[in-house]
Amino acid sequence: MSNFKIGDQVTVRSATTLFHTRTQAYTRGHTGVIVEDRPSWIIPEDEAFEIIDNGREEPFWVVRFQQKELWPDYTGFDGDTLESEFSERWLEPANEGSS
Amino acid sequence: MSTHEHAPIQVSDKVSEFEVLELALRELAIEKGLFSADDHRRFMEWAESRSPAAGSRLVAKAWLDPDFKERLLEDGTEASKEVGIDWMDPTGEGTPSDYTFFYVLEDTPTVHNVIVCTLCSCYPRPMLGMSPEWYRTPSYRRRMVRRPREVLAEFGLHLPPDVELRVHDSNQKSRFMVMPMRPDGTDGWSEEELAAIVTRDTMIGVALPEPGRTTNVRPPAAGS
Repeated sequence: MSNFKIGDQVTVRSATTLFHTRTQAYTRGHTGVIVEDRPSWIIPEDEAFEIIDNGREEPFWVVRFQQKELWPDYTGFDGDTLESEFSERWLEPANEGSS
Repeated sequence: MSTHEHAPIQVSDKVSEFEVLELALRELAIEKGLFSADDHRRFMEWAESRSPAAGSRLVAKAWLDPDFKERLLEDGTEASKEVGIDWMDPTGEGTPSDYTFFYVLEDTPTVHNVIVCTLCSCYPRPMLGMSPEWYRTPSYRRRMVRRPREVLAEFGLHLPPDVELRVHDSNQKSRFMVMPMRPDGTDGWSEEELAAIVTRDTMIGVALPEPGRTTNVRPPAAGS
C-alpha cells in the first residue's frame, strides 16, 4: 500500500536524528516532487539493527528538489536539481506543515 | 646519501576508529576460521583490481544499439548481465547493507547528471570498480550537493546555464552510473573504440567523453 504517486509534491519530515535513518539533514523540511518509485524494502532504521525477518518494509520514492529550494544561497542556475530517495515514513504531502 | 631529491614520505600512523574495528573483526574471523588471512588478501586484491571497463562497454553498447539502451534504462540490473556483471552475485539478492538496484542516468542536451554519496561512499562498484579517492572525501561529498557547478569547474567542466545540472545523492539501495552523450566525431566507431573514451570520470559525471581522450594514453604535460 502506498500513500504517494509520481508527480506528488512532498516535504521531507523533520524527525529524529537518532538511530540510522539515511535521511540527510539537508533535505529535512524541504519540498520537492516525486519523480520515480522504487520497490519496497526494509527501512534502514530496522535493517541497521539486523531486524530483517520482521523488518518494516516500505515503498521508497525518488524526490527531485530544486537546488534553490534546498540552499537559499545556491550559486548555480535556476534549473539545477538534486535527487535522493526516501522511505515513505519520511515524506508528507507538501503544504501540510511539518510534523 | 640519497639520490631522491624530495622530503621523506610521511605515512601517518594515526589509525581511525573504523580501521581498528575492521582489524579486530578480521582477526577474530581469522582466529575463528571463517576465512584465512590469505583469503582476505586475495579478496582485497580482486576487489581493488576491478576497473570501470564494464561500465565503458555498457555505455558504448547502448550508444550503438537502441534496443539495448532501452533495456538498460528500463532495468539496469538485468541489462548489466549482457556485459557480464551480475549485481546479485554472490548472495542472489545483493548484500543487506549495500546495493540492490542499479540505474543508469541518461544525459541529454538539456540534463547533465552527476553522482555523489553524502552519507559515505556508495558507488556502482560492480560496474566501475573502486571509487577514486576524491569521491570519498568529505570535501567532494558535501560540496557536490551544495555547490556542484563550482566543483565541476574544478574538474574543468563548465556547463551552460540552460543545462539542468542534476545531482544524484545515493543515500539508499540504488546505485547509479551516468550515461554521457555520444560526442561528435565518432561516426562509424566500433564498440571498442567508443568504450575507450567512456572513462571513469565521464560515468561519474565530472567530465565529458571526447575523441582522443582515453586513459590508456598519457595526457600531454602541462603547457605542451
